[in-house]
Amino acid sequence: MNNVPLSGYLLLALVLFCIGLFGALTKRNAVIVLISIELMLNAVNINLVAFAKYGENPGLTGQIFALFTMTVAAAEAAVGLAILMALYRKRKSVHVDEMNHLKQ
Amino acid sequence: MTGEVIAFFVLAIVAIMGGMLLLHLSNVVHMVVALVFTFLAIAGIFITLSAEFVAAVQVLIYSGAVTIIMLFGIMLTRHDDVSEKKQIKSSTLLAAGGVGAFFLLMFFAINGMSVSEPATNLHVDNTKRIGELLYTNYLIPFELISVLLLAALIGAIILAKRDDKQEEKP
Amino acid sequence: MVHYAFMIPLFPLLSFLLHLLFRKRVRSIAPILGCICTLVPLVLSVGVLIARFQGTTYTKEIEWLSLGKTAITMGVVITPLNAMMLVIVSLVSFLVHVYSKEYMKDSERLGTYYSYLGLFTFAMLGLVMSVNVVQLYIFWELVGVGSFLLIGFHYTSLAARAAAKKAFIMTRIGDVGLLIGIILLYWKTGSFSFAAIFQSVASGGISQEMITVTALLIFVGAIGKSGQLPLHTWLPDAMEGPTPVSALIHAATMVAAGVYLVAIMYPLFLASSVAMTTVAVIGGITAIFAASIGLVQDDLKRVLAYSTVSQLGYMMLALGSGGYDAGVFHLMTHAFFKALLFLAAGSVIHAVHTQNIREMGGLWNKLKFTGPLFVVGALSLSGFPLFAGFFSKDAIFAAVYHDGRYVLFFIALLTAFLTSLYMFRLVFLVFFGPAAEKIYRENSIILLAPMVVLGILAVVAGYIGSSWFGAPLQRFLHDGTTSLPLEAHGPVWLPYVAILISLAGIGVAYVRYGRRKDFHHENTSSSPVTMLLKNKYYVDEVYGVIFVKGAAFIGTIFVFVERYIIEGMVGTLASTVQWLAKCGSAFQNGQVQRYGAVAITGLALMLLLFIVLTGGYLQ
Repeated sequence: MNNVPLSGYLLLALVLFCIGLFGALTKRNAVIVLISIELMLNAVNINLVAFAKYGENPGLTGQIFALFTMTVAAAEAAVGLAILMALYRKRKSVHVDEMNHLKQ
Repeated sequence: MTGEVIAFFVLAIVAIMGGMLLLHLSNVVHMVVALVFTFLAIAGIFITLSAEFVAAVQVLIYSGAVTIIMLFGIMLTRHDDVSEKKQIKSSTLLAAGGVGAFFLLMFFAINGMSVSEPATNLHVDNTKRIGELLYTNYLIPFELISVLLLAALIGAIILAKRDDKQEEKP
Repeated sequence: MVHYAFMIPLFPLLSFLLHLLFRKRVRSIAPILGCICTLVPLVLSVGVLIARFQGTTYTKEIEWLSLGKTAITMGVVITPLNAMMLVIVSLVSFLVHVYSKEYMKDSERLGTYYSYLGLFTFAMLGLVMSVNVVQLYIFWELVGVGSFLLIGFHYTSLAARAAAKKAFIMTRIGDVGLLIGIILLYWKTGSFSFAAIFQSVASGGISQEMITVTALLIFVGAIGKSGQLPLHTWLPDAMEGPTPVSALIHAATMVAAGVYLVAIMYPLFLASSVAMTTVAVIGGITAIFAASIGLVQDDLKRVLAYSTVSQLGYMMLALGSGGYDAGVFHLMTHAFFKALLFLAAGSVIHAVHTQNIREMGGLWNKLKFTGPLFVVGALSLSGFPLFAGFFSKDAIFAAVYHDGRYVLFFIALLTAFLTSLYMFRLVFLVFFGPAAEKIYRENSIILLAPMVVLGILAVVAGYIGSSWFGAPLQRFLHDGTTSLPLEAHGPVWLPYVAILISLAGIGVAYVRYGRRKDFHHENTSSSPVTMLLKNKYYVDEVYGVIFVKGAAFIGTIFVFVERYIIEGMVGTLASTVQWLAKCGSAFQNGQVQRYGAVAITGLALMLLLFIVLTGGYLQ
């Protein structure tokens, strides 16, 4: 066992993704939901980079796309937090379960 | 059992522990700090995958920028941390069921998956080659990403700015 | 003249529409409008008949519906049979319109009455001019609607409503047969037109069995409309309608439509000996069956109704025995003398305000015109020599004798005896014998004039079909066709036997009923036979037991099935759906996280399905 197999990285990514998903679906605090989404994106990045090394066509493309994903994630975090601020000013709360406007 | 494998296991355990703490802790600031460990561990994982530049960016953006943004977000909003009750709700069960099923399915799908021999030269001049590719092959996505970042920047400022007129309206 | 034939049904339709639209306002002129709208068709019909007499068959049709390769047409066709029916229908209709002016003058809903009459006349005239079976069927149903409306005209009376429903449902049973027959014919021949169907039958385009089946199905339609056994029970009940309606619909025209249907589809029937035998046997049995019931009925109109059923059976017997001319001839003469009898009966009822013949008597001297006219009709119906019925019945006897079914021939003779017996029972009970102490006035000229016209026809109409004058009717009916069987000639002794039977019936009636002394005589014997006849062979009761009780029994079973099995299933289903809806609405709580959880669960399920079904990508 000289190398960690591809499935090892994929499994790690899967675990992290599921943790992020579960957090995003259950946490009440909107900040934590956002950060859980960042965790999910990071898990995806692990997949991209792992396939860049162990995939069918190894190369730097996977790493470059991981960079793009990070950029988008950063932008998403910024915008998400801005939206959170705007919402907080309106509702005086960051609890996701109190934001049920979709129901009305 | 090479050093690479040991490093992978240690980093993986740290990353997963950080995720578990995120789910388990009740203080929001603690959660974010727990996640910093995860992000750093993932950066280490990137190094084992011969992606040094990506690892560096990971540390800069996630462990640095995103975490700081989130901490600012937490500080700027009010928190009554006691509200996180430990009782299990039906929605939690549903989410756990769905996520668990998804996990199992994916687990069986990726278990023992090995496509081809690993590439061996990815770490050679890693940053330089990425830079060259970004300015040749991926020039247009790169420029588009910069436009996206600009748009996100402006959008975030506009959204977060305290709008006095809107404030009076309701 | 024949080119205006298409206008004949339009005037009654106009009458129907005008009366319907203005029935509240035109009450005073409604009868006149109705009479004019039927007088014009009468004139046109006579013109068409004369034109047809000199010319050939006239056909005029326009395409109405185009279904793929098949074009359904509407139009008029004037064959000898059609021309004759046109005159009969428009004449009787006109006379009934006139008669109704006086008879119905106290009715609140005079306009409605005349509009119904117009609708019926329109439908009947359209029926006898149909170019194809689809048009025939449409008008056939319209006739049924007109009959239904008119029977139930006194809709406040429970009996009238029941009778209208009964008539509609019983004839509908027959109509289903007719419809299936038409569809089968179309299926096998690819055409609705009479000519194409007969062509296909003649050239062997349809198998023998299919001819038999379709002919029998069409005959089922005729059974329903013409009140043949076993669907006859609606016709006596239909006497709940106004008497002029009975004269028009349930004596002269609509019930004859069944006979007309068999006549117009005659080439089809001729091609199947089974169908012919069925027609003859049903006709014969109906004839004697209804005549025997007519012997003991006490209601004036009901006796005439059973007489109508019996005479229609006669016509069917003639047609089934190959006597096309005889059947059609009897259809014509019967239309005249039965309409006369009904109108005369209406006149009597109008005068004495009862329908029970046991409460009448001695009216001969009081109703000085109605009495003789009724007797003329009765003589004609009984086949008294030189009256119209004598000639047509003679033709039927000859046809049946010629056909060689001697049992049916014997039945026909026996029925003739019964016919004259029950008719003169009526005559003696109503017009002779001791009179009631009341004073009756003869009715006005408006009631009498139509009866006089019909009375004359009931005497002279027979001569056009008599071989003494070269049988012009038969020659006319055979004009332009070659497929019809020739007139049968019976043995020389046949007319004498017929006369003898007719006189014997009258004589027995005189002995039995003509010499009574007291007014309220009681000869209600309660022998089993009388009771059987009085109760009309218990047909209604048997139907009641078999169909109503049977249906109720089946209904009970199905109620059980429905209540405990189907409703249980439905209830389970409904509560399951409700439960699912509750679960579903629990997801719709407006929270993105719940939606996300549902989405990820769905994704997992879809992936599972994908893997189970296809085995995934990598296997």
